[in-house]
Amino acid sequence: MSDRPVPAALLPDPDDPLALAEYAPGGAVALTDAERWPTLDAAGAARLDGVARHPLAPAWVHRTGDRLSADGIARAQAPLPVDGWLAEHLATARKLPAYRRVAATLGDLPSWPTVTREDLLDDVSAFVPLDADLDRMIEGSSSGTTGRALQIPDDVEEVARSFHLLVKLLADQGVQWRPDPGRMALAYVVHQRQAFTYTSSISSFGQATMARLNLHPSQWPATGQRTGFLLAQQPQVITGNPTSLAELLHPDLVAGLRPLALFSGAMALSLGLRRDLERAYGCPVIDVYGLHETRPIAASADGGPFVILDRRVHVEVLDAAGGPVPPGQRGEIVVTAGENPLLPLVRYRTGDFGRLVDVAGRPALADLEGREATRFLALDGSLVPSVDLTQQLQAGGARGWAVRQGVDGSVTATVVGGDAAQIGAALGRLLGQPVTVAAVPTLLDLGEGKPRRYESAAPGT
Amino acid sequence: MAEGPVPFWRRLTNSAGLRDPDRNETATNATPFSPPVDRVSRPAAAPEPAETKVVDSEALLDIWFAREQDDVIVWRSCLPGASAAEIATRLSLVPAAFLADDVDVLQLAENILEIEYGASGTTPPDRRRQEVLRIADQVRATGSAAARRGAALVLWLWASDDLNGPLSVPLSPVYYGRAIAALSFRLAAVVDPAEWVRTADRRDEAARTFLLWSGHLPAGEDEATARSILAMRDSLEQNTALAQTMAEQEHRLQVTKRLQEARAREAAARYSNE
Repeated sequence: MSDRPVPAALLPDPDDPLALAEYAPGGAVALTDAERWPTLDAAGAARLDGVARHPLAPAWVHRTGDRLSADGIARAQAPLPVDGWLAEHLATARKLPAYRRVAATLGDLPSWPTVTREDLLDDVSAFVPLDADLDRMIEGSSSGTTGRALQIPDDVEEVARSFHLLVKLLADQGVQWRPDPGRMALAYVVHQRQAFTYTSSISSFGQATMARLNLHPSQWPATGQRTGFLLAQQPQVITGNPTSLAELLHPDLVAGLRPLALFSGAMALSLGLRRDLERAYGCPVIDVYGLHETRPIAASADGGPFVILDRRVHVEVLDAAGGPVPPGQRGEIVVTAGENPLLPLVRYRTGDFGRLVDVAGRPALADLEGREATRFLALDGSLVPSVDLTQQLQAGGARGWAVRQGVDGSVTATVVGGDAAQIGAALGRLLGQPVTVAAVPTLLDLGEGKPRRYESAAPGT
Repeated sequence: MAEGPVPFWRRLTNSAGLRDPDRNETATNATPFSPPVDRVSRPAAAPEPAETKVVDSEALLDIWFAREQDDVIVWRSCLPGASAAEIATRLSLVPAAFLADDVDVLQLAENILEIEYGASGTTPPDRRRQEVLRIADQVRATGSAAARRGAALVLWLWASDDLNGPLSVPLSPVYYGRAIAALSFRLAAVVDPAEWVRTADRRDEAARTFLLWSGHLPAGEDEATARSILAMRDSLEQNTALAQTMAEQEHRLQVTKRLQEARAREAAARYSNE
């Protein structure tokens, strides 16, 4: 595949007042293909080219690879050992700049203070080990739905390893997922007004192809283009969030796609949508709970409690004061996460709430709150996913917010920080109606939980 | 600048708390080191507990680190300057009155900058003048005697041409703000400026630090040589506790820089929502 410039015709409408620069096609292209896929062979390159240049392919916004070397491939395919990981993890964390002044007081896990997203926003580098290999660092922005964008140092091999976690979760369901040269291995689908889209080769999975696709109709100008492309690729596995996965219920897609499994993440998957997807495709639907900061934490394959994954993750449920709640009681989910060597977190407050229960001898999270999938009703009757609002709120500089739509369709927003007038104008354009914006001084003024609230009582949302 | 010492001292004595000096009374020959002339007698200060000094040092270093100076870039942009010995000699000639406890460093800076820039400076020099005054005010606000003395010594280096003749390579006012901040907050945090005057090694360290942040390599030295010698002298790197603070600050800069670079260099492919 060659590095070619993006044709001007593919650029977004420069007069679009809601267009964000980072989503301009090719706006973040910086590497060569040899750097993106160091081991890519001719057959893999041909497969990748076949996807990228497919006549029905969307205009790719981005170009990105997994950057795995041959050694990195081997490491990414194997899960990190978990025996004794927590003690090792705490020893590493004790040396972090964030804990230098209190290191002497830190013993076993309960003696550690909790950490919040605000702490990472203040100085994420204090949570990066001094001896970390920064050459393996890639940048991930946790921006989806959880307040002001946070730049997260991700590890290139850990990101690649997350693919093999999906393979394992599927194997746990009795489904053997192996590379099929005739099919795309994975389609990661989103449904939002603007998004990074790309196609890539999975170096550690037979150089099979994958793509991040935006199912939003605006990205597929030709009639039948979206369905035609997906059917041509026949992705083995499709990942997404409830909003994007709901798009898969389109009859044309149900009739033609044959996925081995669907994975949902980021937001709560309702039981109704789960059942609809299971009926439509007759395959496992696995809901994965995790945060970008912590990486995947738990999974539910049946709509019941989320079983904590057998990896470097430890979950506690704490009360507001930071003490443990009685077994089975509701509290905030606090995670110690050791998969990402560049961000070894100890007792990270997720802002999500739930109960810690036992499922077949394994710890699990029940009644998980904080991941509600919300859509807003625009004046023209269309449904706008909350992520589109998130992009504009962040572009306006807000650090946190609560956006509510009443039964009558009226929308009010409460924001912390940022330019209220700019935000009001952008949300107004997005929803086709005036949006009242009020400013409050602190995140605490938004109440308990994550620094974002979306709620819509409008019909059909 | 004025021809002789009289106008110079007259200007300074008006508001900065300096008295007309005895030309022979330098800080070097005042023994033991202390302000040689206290106009108001005061009880001897109790020695500061070690913990207080560390806190004070860290507070000064915090101010320095907040400037996010990248010394790699500074080294790369240095031009040949005066020799370290020439600056060190100039330091040793500092009149003891400059280091007195009751010198108002902001007033001193205003007076010396007026001499340097003139009263009616044009816009660019005036901007730099304001920057220096802002830093002098920061020095005053810290309440740190070390920072105040450090700033006063830099002011002396700028003003000393009047008494000791011009340096072999003139200093550029462009970097005045950077230089006074470096010596007041970085070097003074770890070495009492009294030592810059009294001890040969520390005087050399101060001279080299001053040259670096003034944008100069010591005369006759290339970048590698100058870096090597200053690294050997650098008290901050040799102070274990404070070196840790510095290492963490450099780490912070590195992580921030690498995150920005990583963002510009593309993300990596991801496989699911989180």
